[in-house]
Order: sequence, then structure tokens, then C-alpha cells
Amino acid sequence: MAEPAAQTAFAEEALTHLDTLYRGALRLTHDPDQAQDLVQEAYLRALRYQHSYQQGTNMKAWLFAIMRNLFWDRFKGSRKDDVSLDDVGEFVLYDKLRDEGARPESDVLDKIAASEVVAAVDKLPPLHREVVVLVDVEGFSYKDAAQALGVPIGTVMSRLHRARQQLQKSLYDYAVESGIVRPGGMTQVSQQ
Amino acid sequence: MRCEECSDKLDRFVDRELTNTEALEVQLHLEGCPDCMEHYEFQEHLKRVVKHSCDCDTAPKAFRDKLRQILS
Ligand SMILES: [Zn+2]
Ligand SMILES: [Zn+2]
Repeated sequence: MAEPAAQTAFAEEALTHLDTLYRGALRLTHDPDQAQDLVQEAYLRALRYQHSYQQGTNMKAWLFAIMRNLFWDRFKGSRKDDVSLDDVGEFVLYDKLRDEGARPESDVLDKIAASEVVAAVDKLPPLHREVVVLVDVEGFSYKDAAQALGVPIGTVMSRLHRARQQLQKSLYDYAVESGIVRPGGMTQVSQQ
Repeated sequence: MRCEECSDKLDRFVDRELTNTEALEVQLHLEGCPDCMEHYEFQEHLKRVVKHSCDCDTAPKAFRDKLRQILS
């Protein structure tokens, strides 16, 4: 049993990673209440198993692993048979915009509302979504993401690549639906 | 470096996962290849947009306080 002071220090350090865990839980559950439940349970479990945390290793990745494993146990019944992402091809959004005469970099990405980008992330299958959350949103290295997800680095890379292709497809579809891009035509210059 | 190799390494370049030597090779290719440079800038921009769209969610203060209570 840890001394009270040591326990408090551990809890305080763990709480410095709360926003990362909460955002991750929110992206996984899509629900603030469920996200809070999940994160709270993850912290209780972390405290109980703090002896298994190795000093000097990445506590954020360790905590994230506890949280996402709870998610998969609780919400998915440990079923990790994820919907697989179809191969949508390389640089979908980029290539389509180019074909349509838009300037891919400056014109379109900045016209897509943040909420639509979040929606596109939320639409990814969970195994792909969590890689985007770790690497793109939270800035994890591939190595730390691999630790948090319990998979080899190669798996992190392939899931990330697929996820980004799928994101581009979703954002392109949105850009067409909302009139930011006209399929086969010119990009609208202004967004009123 | 050929465009194909550059394209294979683009994810790792954008994610700062290449060794210094590899990153320098990619950088040199990008500087001489407008097509790959555009791809790179787009990927980089997409990564930034995803980050900024998702990272404004933070844990509510009441929840943080509650956790601190529970854990102490
Ligand atoms: Zn921008
Ligand atoms: Zn090239």
C-alpha cells in the first residue's frame, strides 16, 4: 500500500493528463456523461494498480491505455473486430480538389467548420479514431501511441494512414454537400 | 529520392518520426518537387486542422474537482 503522501503525489501527476483522457473518452463515447464515467473509472483503476506503473515511462500513455481498455471492455464487450476502412485511395480530398481547379491548400480546409472536422473524426471506426486522437490531436509519438493501444508501431502507422484517407473523403463529401466545392466545377470564392 | 519514396515517407515526415538523415532527404526532395511539396503542405495543414478542431474540449472544472476529491 502506498503512503498517503506518495498516493497524493501520484494522483496529482495523473491528473495533469486529465484533459487528454477526457478528450479521448469523449471521442470514443461521443457522450460527456459516459466520458466522465469512463475517465473516473480509469483513474480509480490507475490508483489501484499504480504499482504496475514504471517510473520514468510515459504516464500519459499508460493512463490512456487503462481508459481505452475499459472502453473496449465496457462498451464493446472486448470485441475489437472493427469495421475495416475501405481503401479510398491516396490523397482523396487533395486530388479531387486539384482536378476541380481549386487550390487545395488555401481554399478548402479553412472553410470547413471545426464541428464538421470533429464530426468526420467521430465517423471513423473506433480503432482508427483513437490513433488520430493520439497522434494528431494529442501529439503522441508512434511509439507512445503503440504503447497506449497495445499494438506494434507498424499497426499505428497503417491505421493512421487509412484514417487520414477516410478523413479526407468525409471532408470532401461535406465540402460538396455544403457547396464549398462544386463537383466538377469551380470552387466558390466566398462563403456567405 | 523519387516521388514514390517521398510519398511513402510523408506521414512520418509530417509526424516528425523520421531520423534526421531521412528527414533531410525528404526536405531536399520537397524543395525540388512542387507536386510533393503541395502534398506535404496539404497533409500538414490537415493535421493542424484536426488538432485545432478537436483539442478545445477540456474536462469540466467540476469534474476535475470531483476527481481530485475521490483520488485523495
Ligand atoms: Zn488553416
Ligand atoms: Zn516528388
